[in-house]
Amino acid sequence: MTERAVTGKIAVTASGRFRRFSLGREFGVFMALLVICIVLTILNDRFLTATNLLNIGRQISLVGIMAVGMTFVLVTGEVDLSVGSTYGFCGIVLGMLMVAGYPLAFAIVVALCAGAVIGLINGLMSTYLRLPSLIATLGMLSMVRGAALIMTDGKPVTVNIKNGVDAGDLAIFGFIGQGRLFGVPMQLVFFIVIAIAGWFLLSRTSFGFRVFAVGGSAKAARVSGINVAWVKIWALTLMGVLAALAGMLSLAFLPSGQAGRMGLGLELDVIAATIVGGTSLAGGEGTILGTVLGVLIIGVLRNGLVLTGVSPFAQEFLIGLVIVVAVAIDKWSTASKPA
Amino acid sequence: MTKFFKHIAIAACVVAGAGGAAFAEPQNVKDFPLAPRIAAKIAAGETLNLYVSYPDVSNEFAPFVIAGVDRAGKLEGIKATVIGPVGPDADAQISEIETLMDTIDGLAIASVSTDALAPILNQMIAAGIPVVAYNTDNPASDRLVFAGQDLTQSGREAGKLMGGVLDGKGKVIITTLVASAQWSIDREAGAREALAAFPGIEVIATIDTGTEPQEIYAAIENAMLANPDVTGILSLECCSTPAAGTWVERNNMKGKVHVVGFDLLDLTVEHIKNGLVDATIDQGPETQGFEAVNLLTKFLRGETIDDIDTGVKIYTSANIAEFK
Repeated sequence: MTERAVTGKIAVTASGRFRRFSLGREFGVFMALLVICIVLTILNDRFLTATNLLNIGRQISLVGIMAVGMTFVLVTGEVDLSVGSTYGFCGIVLGMLMVAGYPLAFAIVVALCAGAVIGLINGLMSTYLRLPSLIATLGMLSMVRGAALIMTDGKPVTVNIKNGVDAGDLAIFGFIGQGRLFGVPMQLVFFIVIAIAGWFLLSRTSFGFRVFAVGGSAKAARVSGINVAWVKIWALTLMGVLAALAGMLSLAFLPSGQAGRMGLGLELDVIAATIVGGTSLAGGEGTILGTVLGVLIIGVLRNGLVLTGVSPFAQEFLIGLVIVVAVAIDKWSTASKPA
Repeated sequence: MTKFFKHIAIAACVVAGAGGAAFAEPQNVKDFPLAPRIAAKIAAGETLNLYVSYPDVSNEFAPFVIAGVDRAGKLEGIKATVIGPVGPDADAQISEIETLMDTIDGLAIASVSTDALAPILNQMIAAGIPVVAYNTDNPASDRLVFAGQDLTQSGREAGKLMGGVLDGKGKVIITTLVASAQWSIDREAGAREALAAFPGIEVIATIDTGTEPQEIYAAIENAMLANPDVTGILSLECCSTPAAGTWVERNNMKGKVHVVGFDLLDLTVEHIKNGLVDATIDQGPETQGFEAVNLLTKFLRGETIDDIDTGVKIYTSANIAEFK
């Protein structure tokens, strides 16, 4: 069977889709994931159980949600190191508002807006202030975490009835973080929805086209009339909102957050997962599918290494090694494909 | 089981109240070559600047220590200031002390790393600035005295508690935020030593959970799935204790998987009340913070000081109502 044109659109048959996938960047990442899964299945009979697979799905969801946002940022040629701090700050803000007696809906809106504002500031610093985004967001990483520590005086924020949270709001909040929809954990539901929305935005809208154009060549994009600065600002703002969403879901799942630890170090996992998934640090290349696969590789590894009883010190070494190998395989498989 | 806990709680209060078992010689300023500038300040009746260095001022434990320091700050003739890095960073802790060296009249320190901090502490003592250790001792240095919990002993208490709640048989996993940290190594050694006295108990693994809350929970979740016959989770610190209790609750394992841990975070207290965590060991962080300053103040006033063991206070469902 071959590709054929139908009423001006290209309809791709199943084998055509597979051929396109096998030629794409994601194939190498997919193969790496498959190999890891096969090895773990052989090593531990609990790996390939429904419970464990759903656990993995839930465990990767928050990093996954942020990795979707990071894909946009990296494709534009920028980077955001503040995502872990934004996640923690916005989760804490939401918790503080709930404990202060504000309605849940209001608290959620404020937390998401806080994430958007942080992302917007990152965007403005990286464009109009001409700071490299690495530096701007590195500074924001410290400022945001510091702000969270100042606001809470380092004390944990616990969302419960004893601390004055409304019972009805607590129940809804608990469902958002801990509930299941047709057996699927809510965090995973959110991740699936965000991933699909991210895929659509990146690959099926004019905004997505502009993101790739800016990342491919900012100069050429400018010449063709694209407002390069605002594309980057929007990408970083979206990143801030998604980090805030992930922080909110984190607190909904474990309803006690502390500013010094919440989201600490997550930026590295988010960036690693996105790059493992084939998104280029140089900009201009990346897919949401690749990002999802990259998130899965890291999540499956962490889960599998614990299941197989690997020592915690060896786990860190192995995760780093697999990241390097996965990216190397991806680069090799892309380089050896016909142009 | 409740009677068991009542006996343990009473015994623990006795242990906690017993006070300082000496680890080293008592110290007096008459035998210490005090820096001339400090001696002059004392003679002139000026306010002395005491600094309390904590290894990570951003962690959950820090507010309790700071509260103790604030309480001690009301002592006459001294000004007590908490310093320390955000995140456990030995270099940052050392840099801060170096920067303030000329203004420090007395230092109380909980070291991020005993080996890394020992040289600067010895340098301070050689310069005539008194140094005491609190919370985490630094035996590699020449510090005067130590105020805190014997970490290995607290690990033994945790191991004994776990042996008791499991009635001497079962499988246990140990959880810790940082398996390589000295405090964790000491506590784990004590816990394993105590658990070894129960031939029917097997320690399956030590799980390094990391510090991020979601990672902690995921690590426990994965470990329990890998070892479904585990009946005990022994946490070595504040923060995997409530996560373990949450796991027990979410997986309907109350009474089937027992949790013993440390410290009194809000969620831990709630879990104990709800029977999801069997026991927790309080280090008395507020007392440690207070004694850190109090010992320095007494020393500079010419009193003899000695080590203070802030004790091991055990909380269970039988006595958790006493807390707060």
